[in-house]
Amino acid sequence: MTLVSIIGFVLIIVGLWGMLTQNNIIKIIIGFSIIDTGIHLLIVSIGYIKGKTAPIIDSVLLKTDAVNQVVDPIPSALVLTAIVIGLAVTALMLVYAVNLYQRKQSLDINDFEELKW
Amino acid sequence: MVNPLYLFIIALGTGFLLSLIDKLYRSVSLILFYATLTAMLGIAGQWLVEIMRGMEAVVIYTAGFQAPYSINLRLGMEEAVFVFLANLVGLLSAIYLFNKFRHSKVNAMVLFLMMILGINGLIMTRDMFNLFVFMEITSIATYALIGINRNTESLSAGFKYIIAGGIASSFFLIGTIYLYRLTGTLNIDSMIASKELIAGNAGFIALFLALSAIVIELKPFPANGWALDVYQAVDSGVVAVIATASSAAMFFVIYKLMPLLNITMLDLLAGIGGITFVFSNLVGLKQKNAKRLLGYSSIAQMGLVLTALSLVMKGSCGIPPKNLLIIVVGGLFLNHFLAKAGLFWLAGLFKEQDTDKWSVIRRNPLLLFIFGSFIFALVGLPPFPGFWAKWELILYLAKSGQHFWIFTILLGSFLEAIYLIRWLISVVKDTVEQEVVLSFQKILPPVLFMIGLYNAGFLMIINYYSFNPLFFAPLMVAAFFFGIDWLPTKFKGIFTIAVIGAFAYHVVPQLDGIYQIFAVLFLGGGLIQLIATLQASGKRTGFYPFVIMMFLSLGILLKSETTLQFFYAWELMTVSSFLLILRGGKARNHSLLYILFSLAGAYFILTGFAYAFAAAGDINILSITNITAYSSVIYTFFLVGFLIKTGALGLHIWLPGSYAESEDDVSPLISSILSKAGIFGMMLVAGIFGKSLFGKIEISAALGWLGAITALIGTLMAIFQEDIKKLLAYSSMGQLGYMVLSVAMLSHLGWISALYMSFNHLFFKALLFIAIAGVISRTGTRNMCEMGGLIKRMPYSFISVLIAIIALSGVPPLSGFGSKWLLYTAGIERGWYLQTAVAFFASTIAFLYCYRLIHTIFLGQPKPKFKEIKEASLWYLIPQYILIMAIMAISMFPNLIIEPLAAAVNNYFSTTIDWNGYTVISSLGYWNGNAVMYVTMGVFALPLIILILTQRRPQLVKQFNIVFAAERPDRPETTHVANNFFAPYQKALGFLAYPYATRFWSAVSEWTQTVASLFRQIYTGNGQTYALHIILYVVVLYFISGGR
Repeated sequence: MTLVSIIGFVLIIVGLWGMLTQNNIIKIIIGFSIIDTGIHLLIVSIGYIKGKTAPIIDSVLLKTDAVNQVVDPIPSALVLTAIVIGLAVTALMLVYAVNLYQRKQSLDINDFEELKW
Repeated sequence: MVNPLYLFIIALGTGFLLSLIDKLYRSVSLILFYATLTAMLGIAGQWLVEIMRGMEAVVIYTAGFQAPYSINLRLGMEEAVFVFLANLVGLLSAIYLFNKFRHSKVNAMVLFLMMILGINGLIMTRDMFNLFVFMEITSIATYALIGINRNTESLSAGFKYIIAGGIASSFFLIGTIYLYRLTGTLNIDSMIASKELIAGNAGFIALFLALSAIVIELKPFPANGWALDVYQAVDSGVVAVIATASSAAMFFVIYKLMPLLNITMLDLLAGIGGITFVFSNLVGLKQKNAKRLLGYSSIAQMGLVLTALSLVMKGSCGIPPKNLLIIVVGGLFLNHFLAKAGLFWLAGLFKEQDTDKWSVIRRNPLLLFIFGSFIFALVGLPPFPGFWAKWELILYLAKSGQHFWIFTILLGSFLEAIYLIRWLISVVKDTVEQEVVLSFQKILPPVLFMIGLYNAGFLMIINYYSFNPLFFAPLMVAAFFFGIDWLPTKFKGIFTIAVIGAFAYHVVPQLDGIYQIFAVLFLGGGLIQLIATLQASGKRTGFYPFVIMMFLSLGILLKSETTLQFFYAWELMTVSSFLLILRGGKARNHSLLYILFSLAGAYFILTGFAYAFAAAGDINILSITNITAYSSVIYTFFLVGFLIKTGALGLHIWLPGSYAESEDDVSPLISSILSKAGIFGMMLVAGIFGKSLFGKIEISAALGWLGAITALIGTLMAIFQEDIKKLLAYSSMGQLGYMVLSVAMLSHLGWISALYMSFNHLFFKALLFIAIAGVISRTGTRNMCEMGGLIKRMPYSFISVLIAIIALSGVPPLSGFGSKWLLYTAGIERGWYLQTAVAFFASTIAFLYCYRLIHTIFLGQPKPKFKEIKEASLWYLIPQYILIMAIMAISMFPNLIIEPLAAAVNNYFSTTIDWNGYTVISSLGYWNGNAVMYVTMGVFALPLIILILTQRRPQLVKQFNIVFAAERPDRPETTHVANNFFAPYQKALGFLAYPYATRFWSAVSEWTQTVASLFRQIYTGNGQTYALHIILYVVVLYFISGGR
């Protein structure tokens, strides 16, 4: 396991911890973002092969030799999608935060327990 | 054929166009929106049709590369069905939400399209990462749709949903990327092909994380608080999609990944589903909010579907028999899908979501019919797909020896039935008013889904079970009678009698042996008693359809050739009789008890059939003969099921209320006819099992004792009743006890006695109930102490009751004597002296309540308010006198009935009786009904003639023409001791009639409720707590599944 994956896992745990312990909705959202970042690091680290270069074929990196010189390009592609999706979810969460705040003038998650049982 | 990719292309294209076009005209964007959804449904439908016709599954490649270098989609049979259903529910929900889309911002339409698009993608894609993308598209669209309704409740529910969904998709992403790391591919098919690479701890964790994410999305108990909030808070039209289509898509993802899983993981999934099914239903018991209740039910049902799929997959090494998969998983799924979407749509019609505030449905026959159909479908009653699915599932489980799962699934189903039927009853019985705005677009979707449910059920019968057309009769004829329900009641009544008569004419000659005997009992008895229903005036909506359904299902019960047909008829009979009992004014709680006990009984019978199938390998009723293994266990299951119907002691608590509180002309039907179905069932299985096999079994001795004690306690309870119908009800319970006793004897004479008593009880109990119905119709009370002296005003009814109690009590000359003679002879022959003694004692104390029937109602002094009372209506009297003639006939000429009964019983036991003219000769003595009649008549006639001759001037006694202790009474009450009549006996024997059973069952009920409230405390309503639940759930799952 590489250092990057370890950092990724640490971030995921930190984010999860934040989501579970912070009462403030904004902090929960930040926790979620940290989890996301951790996952992105994890994805990138999976595709990384030591000593290889970025999977961009140009004048330096020839098509014929690319297989031996680049890191796995798929995780890099995936991480882009994941980042976009993470952004959308985070943005939506923030919209919710704003709306929730407008209802009750509070950002404490414990104030939104109308529905239960 | 349109490329399925257009499903995405047109949805996306329209999504972008909508916001542009909406700037012009709302109407244009609306047309575009609905046209798109219709087109999507069209594409899905076209593929479904082609694939149903036998087209091979197609794989669709994208981006010009073959998989695994690009994302590919698959459209086979399963995908086509799911895609079609998802688009269907999408379009219908959109129609349902028409007003909302017309008035809210255009975003709603765009988001709705994206949600449907995501669901389509989830079902079709074969790429792991693409799954993640579609999962997120669906989720994000759903989150935003929830948020559009900007009230606090949906906002906070939506936020909890985002947290849960966010955690789940994080897990999925981590799992997916590690699966990629191990297998080098994201394509599911390639992954399956290189399954062995997903090994070791890393492989396990990767697969586990991806799987647990999907499990979380399926809302497993207890990590599902967020989902319940969503179900409760969000608009019905949207929830209908979330609860059905989105869940279906997630379920389908699990189905796709199943080939990757090993047996342990399948077990784990089955366990997750099972726990969810049982506990969600348990907690649902305490729920009063309709949408949240539906939420519990949805979650439970998806749990059941997951369990069924996992068990079926596990048992067949990944390649289950196609029919099993279609009937069990498909049936359960379709049942849930259609019924739940429909119920959520109905929920949207109401402002107030309390389950006891829906009674407005009652006044709209269409709504009531839809609602009832959905509820019955969810309970798993025929003809709905859930019924067939449950049947096949239980049979499969019995065959593969998974006993624990049978128990779990039936327990969960039972819990669900409790709250669903309680809700139905509340709708029919409660009177809270609230306004309902009905509009075409809100009614159309549920109506279509209801039709779909019926169709799916019938298609299953036609495709997989070759049922005789006769087996459709109960439902078809009932449907027809619903169609003519606007006609006056007299016409419908006569028509009903004619139809049942024609049915009997058709069916009875086709049967033989005890089948024919019971056919005469059920249908002939019914024909006579139905005359009494003609007294009603007005329309009596919804009465005759259920009457005819009950009788026709009793008829086909006898025609059953397979155990499935028997069970089908049995359930139809249960439903129709429940609906009849429910009509009674105060029958609310009693009908609930009735249906719950009946359902539990049906589950016992189902289990019996399932093990019989496992032992014999066939569902033909006659194949039960071959069973040697576990026969006593199987027999016990049957017995419990049938004993519930007869109201054996301990299982009887539903009986008095249901008999007493149903309408006055329904009581005779259920007490004198329906209860015999239990006797028939017992004789059927006992007869089939054969004496040699279970004659040795101690069970029959226990059964005999149960019968004797039921007779005793039932009779005792009857004595202490003030309510006349309760008295008759307990009396029925006692009488059925005698029959159980004689069936248990398993001897020739015992069975003749059981059949004879069945007929005799039919005659006199129907007579009593109808006569009493006539009395109640005039007096307006059921309390005997308020009556009295009615002999002068209602002489014909008096004669009926007199004849009936003579026939009941077992004194000569009437048929009751014959039944007691047969019973005691059979008991002594069998060597059951003590049991016979108990029965004798019981039948002696039966005199006490018989006496009350005459004394308190007809004799004594008439109350002033009943001075001018009239004789009962002619419609009540006609059946009474037919029944009296029947009693007279079998009393005078016992061989008229005993000979056919003996012939039927000869099939099972060698004969032990002889005939000499009108005389029956048994090993212990003989009985000549004819002679007994003449002697008794002589005994009465002689003193009468002497008195007439010697007493020259008889004088009529007037009401107060009497003197007590030198005082002349001036009020009728003072001359007529009626209230608390048997108080001294109650002091002496009351402890025997103490409601132990009722107390026991109330304790069970209360205890269950307490456990339910305990469990639902976990749903604190806090989003963070729910997140914690999810994390803990996954951790616990990890350790359970053997992770280290």
